[in-house]
Amino acid sequence: MSAPALRLSGVKKRFGRSEIIKGVDLTIPMGERHAIIGPNGAGKSTLFNLISARFPVTAGRIELKGEDVTGLRPFEINRKGLSRSFQITNIFPRLTVFENLRCAVLWSLGYKYSFWHRLEGLRDAREKAEQVLEDIGLMRRRDTPAGILSYAEQRALEIGITIAGGADVILLDEPTAGMSRSETDEAVALIRRVSENRTLVMVEHDMSVVFGLADRISVLVYGDIIATGAPGEIRSNATVQEAYLGTSFAHA
Amino acid sequence: MEFFLISLLNGVTYGLLLFMLSSGLTLIFSMMGILNFAHASFYMLGAYFAYQISAYVGFWPALIVAPLTVGVIGALVERYGLRRAHHYGHVAELLFTFGLAFLIEEIVHLIWGKAAVDYRVPGSLEGTLFTLFSTSFPIYKGFMMLVSVGMLLALYGLLTRTRIGLIIQAALSRPDMVEALGHNVPRIFMLVFGGGAALAGLAGVIGGNAFVTEPGMAAAVGSIVFVVVVVGGLGSLAGAFVASLLIGIIQTFAVAIDFSVTDMAAALGIDLAGGSNLARLSISQLAPVLPYLLMVAILIFRPRGLMGARES
Amino acid sequence: MSQVLLHRNRLMVWGGTLAVMALLPVVFSQGFAISLLCQIGIMAIFALSYNMLLGQTGLLSFGHAVYYGLGAFVTLHVLNANLGIPVTLLPLAGGAAGLLAGIVLGWVSTKRAGTTFAMISLGIGEMVAASSLMFPGFFGGEGGVSGNRVTGKGLFGITYGPQIEMYYLIAGWAFVCMIAMFALTQTPLGRMANAVRDNPERAEFVGYNPQWVRYLMLVLSGLFAGIAGGLTALNYEIVTAESLSAHTSGAVLLMAFVGGVGFFYGPVIGAVLITVLQIAVAGLTKAWLFYFGVFFLVMVLYAPGGLASLLVMHKRLWQARMMGWLLPSYLLAAVPGLILFGGTIVMVEMAYALLGGAELGGSEVKVFGFVVDASSGLAWAAAAIVAGLGMLLLKRALREVSYQWNNVHAALTRGMTA
Repeated sequence: MSAPALRLSGVKKRFGRSEIIKGVDLTIPMGERHAIIGPNGAGKSTLFNLISARFPVTAGRIELKGEDVTGLRPFEINRKGLSRSFQITNIFPRLTVFENLRCAVLWSLGYKYSFWHRLEGLRDAREKAEQVLEDIGLMRRRDTPAGILSYAEQRALEIGITIAGGADVILLDEPTAGMSRSETDEAVALIRRVSENRTLVMVEHDMSVVFGLADRISVLVYGDIIATGAPGEIRSNATVQEAYLGTSFAHA
Repeated sequence: MEFFLISLLNGVTYGLLLFMLSSGLTLIFSMMGILNFAHASFYMLGAYFAYQISAYVGFWPALIVAPLTVGVIGALVERYGLRRAHHYGHVAELLFTFGLAFLIEEIVHLIWGKAAVDYRVPGSLEGTLFTLFSTSFPIYKGFMMLVSVGMLLALYGLLTRTRIGLIIQAALSRPDMVEALGHNVPRIFMLVFGGGAALAGLAGVIGGNAFVTEPGMAAAVGSIVFVVVVVGGLGSLAGAFVASLLIGIIQTFAVAIDFSVTDMAAALGIDLAGGSNLARLSISQLAPVLPYLLMVAILIFRPRGLMGARES
Repeated sequence: MSQVLLHRNRLMVWGGTLAVMALLPVVFSQGFAISLLCQIGIMAIFALSYNMLLGQTGLLSFGHAVYYGLGAFVTLHVLNANLGIPVTLLPLAGGAAGLLAGIVLGWVSTKRAGTTFAMISLGIGEMVAASSLMFPGFFGGEGGVSGNRVTGKGLFGITYGPQIEMYYLIAGWAFVCMIAMFALTQTPLGRMANAVRDNPERAEFVGYNPQWVRYLMLVLSGLFAGIAGGLTALNYEIVTAESLSAHTSGAVLLMAFVGGVGFFYGPVIGAVLITVLQIAVAGLTKAWLFYFGVFFLVMVLYAPGGLASLLVMHKRLWQARMMGWLLPSYLLAAVPGLILFGGTIVMVEMAYALLGGAELGGSEVKVFGFVVDASSGLAWAAAAIVAGLGMLLLKRALREVSYQWNNVHAALTRGMTA
């Protein structure tokens, strides 16, 4: 059996005096779609920021595909095959949609800091970027500066940038936040398409999205994971219901 | 010992003066995100205004009027220039203050000419405060210390004990929140900018006659103040204080030491006669670049600055 | 298909640039014009290299003259050392010096971005400028270092004695550098520099180290600044510490910014305009630095995209045949604009005459061909009234301009969505 995609052991994060993440242990096997849910302020986004090295951990250890990545910098972790999206859209606003995606594939294709390749001559980069452009349905906006896209389009681009580099572990931070019902449905279909054969970890508030997509779910409450399991188990878990979900949850 | 104590006193005096500049710069930076390139120009204006005013009515009125005038000019600059540049982002703001510094220097050229003006220490403050062994410490240096420490305490009191101070402190970290609570943040910005300019002006009034009042003084002090802010850590008042004193003392000592690496080596019995030019430079010749070398060292070993909290 | 078209267009632009460069000294053949063209060519390279930082990577530098100045000093030293390197290739020595300086100094300065980078670049600039006085052996002290380019080795009978030969050397290097700098914008590094400018954090999450991207861009920009410095050294045959100073750093910032940092060719426009203005305005008035300062501030406040962006905006209107909508309002604004301009200039000139009176002799000034007595209150009042009136009218006229702009803009976006 191969190493899990992600393994967190005893991960803690303290800001000043308050401990936001209080020792999380979590193992996510390869190819799983995993959702992290929890009330506001539970530390879900912080946990993502720790895994992707946006913040340094206070204590604990993070392994990516069996390799210790604790203390690495974000670009180093990205090069090892982990990519993430952001809750607040984080794109290159003055570049066109196509250039945004091309930037996202350059490193994975091995072009690094090259100043001796002509971008236009790099067929693989162009084709890869165009493929993602099609996947996220933004062909018509190919040459539009990303900064003037609509909100839903920017969210799609955000996901596109995240998956373009071909990372096999993908972290999506509230991919459907602020979307209408129909936009959410489209986004879910997109996520389902692009996460095939990859490991997906996502933070999400929309319970129908979570239960529609996830193979397993972890519940994070005040910096602790109180339960991890298949959607059915989580739904019927008494501690979860008591601690966070209340009654509304049972109907989701 | 005597040399050491006197140099230390001089260094602290100079350092406190630097802090009057760097504190305003830091406050403006951490509140508005603006690095005010023209800050040292306000220092220069303070000195020239004081020179002009004291020529008519004497030094004491100038001590009050000149900083206030500079403060009003600063507030106007914020209201009618910076606020517009703000729409185009930080680079535009920085460029605006850069252009302003250039323009102020040119206006000073125009009004007072290119040579230094004869701005002197007032007669009532001339003389010796005390004599340490054989070196005398002038009254005026003591006066400078008094003014800067007084200003420091006033600033501290203003920030911690008054309502406006608390709002300013809150606006330092969360301007959006403060605005949501119904405070007029643009007006607070104008006040802070004007206040910072007035502080710089006051530094100019007491520094202009201790050193020299000439059109190049803004550029000379300006880059040192930037170094202070980088060394202290961007956005940290405490850091600016420590770095101001540090650089003030280092520069004062360096200017007074006429040693070179070759001399030092000779004292240790090593002959470096054939050594490079670098080894033959005396410390006092190196004095102008020491603050910058310190900055480079800090950037390499502690990029955040001595007490900086922010990364950029 | 569009790829081919793009290529042909690009070839035409570069071919046209080359032809213009070749023909300029034929059209403007007077001695001073050739010197001016030389200066423009050098400044175009320098300003383009500056824009690799500001426009392309988002790094606002106040110390770019360091690379330019060091390039100039090294070039003269290499020339004076008589190493047998052909003069044609000597700017490369400057380029190497700029590159090396970038490798060393850039390593420190690009550790940080944004505002901190701006301060550090200033500090490092001051440090190098201050040390120039400490090493008179290399920097030549107050008098600087001089050389004679004709003693250098000629190639195919070209000695670079006559200024026109120097011009073609500069033009040749300018052309090569421009192509190289443009090509750089079309490479992975060039594109990632844009990405780092837009959003360094995101760049980090697609695998790039923003610090390293900034560093490489700064090093390469140092190379081109060094080449520009090398050409300056050969052109004037003397280099002083002035070329390293904050003043030179400010000048290149002014050129790049006024030209427009958002477009590749913007800094070239700036280099041409500022160099010409410098000579034209400085010849006319003592107050030219003051006018430059005001001009810069007005550009920052009202046209932060620079001249290139104004050109592009109007080109779009021209193509949509909508210039007719705007022209009347422009004319309407031009009249009070000129009145304000005239009144202000009279006041500034009178102020310079009055305050600088002792050194210039007398309070009489010649403005626009008239002689005005700066000591007369009447003249001041008249100028002030004219300027005030101009300002008042201009404000109203500008309202009309912005109204028409909104109309045009609305029509354009409607056209786009339709």
